[in-house]
Amino acid sequence: MKRFETVLAALFGAVFLFLSVAVAVETLMRKIFNKSLQGVDELGGYSLAIGAALAFTMALLSRSHMRIDLVHDRLPRLPRALLNLAAAIFLALSAVSLVAMAGYSLNDSIGMSSTAQTPWATPLKYPQSVWLAVLAVFMLAALGYALRALWLAATGRVGQLDDEFQPKSTKDELKEELEDIKARGAAESIGTSGGEKTP
Amino acid sequence: MSMIAVGVSGFIIMVGLMLLGLPIASVMLLVGLGGGMIAYGGAFLVSSASVAWGTMSENGLTAIPLFVLLGEFLLRSGMADRMYVVFAAWLGRLPGGLLHTNIGCCALFAATSGSSVATAATIGTVALPSLAKHGYPMKEALGSLAAGGTLGILIPPSVNMIIYGSMTNNSVGKLFIAGIIPGLLLTLSFMLWILLSTIASGKRVVHELVPLAERVRLLKNLFEPLVVFGIVMGSLYFGIATATESAALGVVAALFFMARGGKLTRKLLLQCFTSSARTSGMILLIVVAAFVLNLALSLTGIGEALTKWVTAFGLSRFETLVALIVFYLILGMFMDTLSMMVATIPLTYPVVSALGVDPIWFGIFIVIMCELGLITPPVGMNLFVVQGIRPDRGSVSDVIQGIIPYAVIMIVFTLLLIAVPDIVTWLPQKMQG
Repeated sequence: MKRFETVLAALFGAVFLFLSVAVAVETLMRKIFNKSLQGVDELGGYSLAIGAALAFTMALLSRSHMRIDLVHDRLPRLPRALLNLAAAIFLALSAVSLVAMAGYSLNDSIGMSSTAQTPWATPLKYPQSVWLAVLAVFMLAALGYALRALWLAATGRVGQLDDEFQPKSTKDELKEELEDIKARGAAESIGTSGGEKTP
Repeated sequence: MSMIAVGVSGFIIMVGLMLLGLPIASVMLLVGLGGGMIAYGGAFLVSSASVAWGTMSENGLTAIPLFVLLGEFLLRSGMADRMYVVFAAWLGRLPGGLLHTNIGCCALFAATSGSSVATAATIGTVALPSLAKHGYPMKEALGSLAAGGTLGILIPPSVNMIIYGSMTNNSVGKLFIAGIIPGLLLTLSFMLWILLSTIASGKRVVHELVPLAERVRLLKNLFEPLVVFGIVMGSLYFGIATATESAALGVVAALFFMARGGKLTRKLLLQCFTSSARTSGMILLIVVAAFVLNLALSLTGIGEALTKWVTAFGLSRFETLVALIVFYLILGMFMDTLSMMVATIPLTYPVVSALGVDPIWFGIFIVIMCELGLITPPVGMNLFVVQGIRPDRGSVSDVIQGIIPYAVIMIVFTLLLIAVPDIVTWLPQKMQG
């Protein structure tokens, strides 16, 4: 799973790093040389569609899709576990809906031979096919999660269902941040370079 | 059942499901799809398909992952950490000492990091041991950190503003520029409070003066973040770039500084990509869901009916805005700020537009309401972050008590913006391009 996440992260980063450089070059060329690369805006749109679909899966794998734990945390274990099951099913249904929407869009674009209203006039079926494929990965991951949650519920493993599918709390996020702060030695570097100059 | 009753009960069910801990984005998406399909059948799914593609391929929204990535670069490369040293040296001598440092540093740090948790955690980790060592009262110290952390969504670049601009079809560049003066004024108001309350209490912690030469030398730590901020905001203000382009320029500048400082490693890049993908995925799914919900509200006529219903009360602009402050204050106590914003804009934006409120001004108003939501219990994210990093093991009520003056300042400041809207609208009117 870790490897899969690393591949997704690398793809996400590559998409937006490439886009940043292209947009920066286009902006500077436009302002300094009065010349445009044409189509960078369009590329930005497709990058978002594909990058966002990748990011949905990343957020799913790290339990980052936002949930409010105000009531949840105060409930006994069984209702809490059942809410976790409902949350996994809700996410799976959302992913299925998005894939259905992407399917409709692609079908329309193929049927009507739609092209982008841009200088490139890209046939929309190409970017939308990639979009649909990446969203399908999100859907499979979300369905896998929901099935795992259903399996745990069906076999009566309430504790495990509660632990594995609970919302990511502020405490968890804070823990990750503090580990990173420690890793990059922020406090130490500041403490030794002037932060303690004021006794 | 009237459209108003459908709208209000739908909103209550949606908020109820969110409060039970179901994923915010899924609740919005499924409520929007469900409502639309009850009214229009399968045809609604086809309409929402074009909305989903339109939203997810809208170049303006590309600014979100780019700004999140930029923030990650500045944060993980340690560029932002070093700011604290400078602020401590320059502001430590003021009455209130390091509390000013907390506010100033949070403002600048949050302007680049974009994450409230990362801001409060980083500044808090660095500041709290020092504050405790020097005998600062814990309530005041925690309050200043939690309040300072909220400034990031008002001081541009701000993801909340990009989402507002995209949902209401307003210029994100203008919203960013509009956030500068209120952001600076609110920062100064927090610092003024620290100054006056310290003088009034007579409990001043006196710090040794850092020599001028040392203070000047430390200023170099501000160079890189200020250049990145200058590129992003300058390109917007002078009409050189759109919000997405300015974000891309910022990313390239940050990459350059990382490479120059020897920080551009594969490990660091992967860490930044992972973190920004997770954050962007969470935000963008909420945004797509909000657009589908928005479509359901407008096609079913619920939004319009609600606008007519509210305007029929005959409330003035001032009364409506005060009522909205109360509405957001209560909602912000229970909801996460991003979801609160996207769930309510389709309902409140048409109402205030009908009253002739400037849309850019209203964007800043909503963002300040979100800031309030970050520090109002029981669901005030910054409260718990600051509580989680304090060195002593005191009660969370210390943080809540410490935050009260800042929450009051924010409300008074919002009333000031209602009375003098030019504070928000003046600078965007001067923009070029």
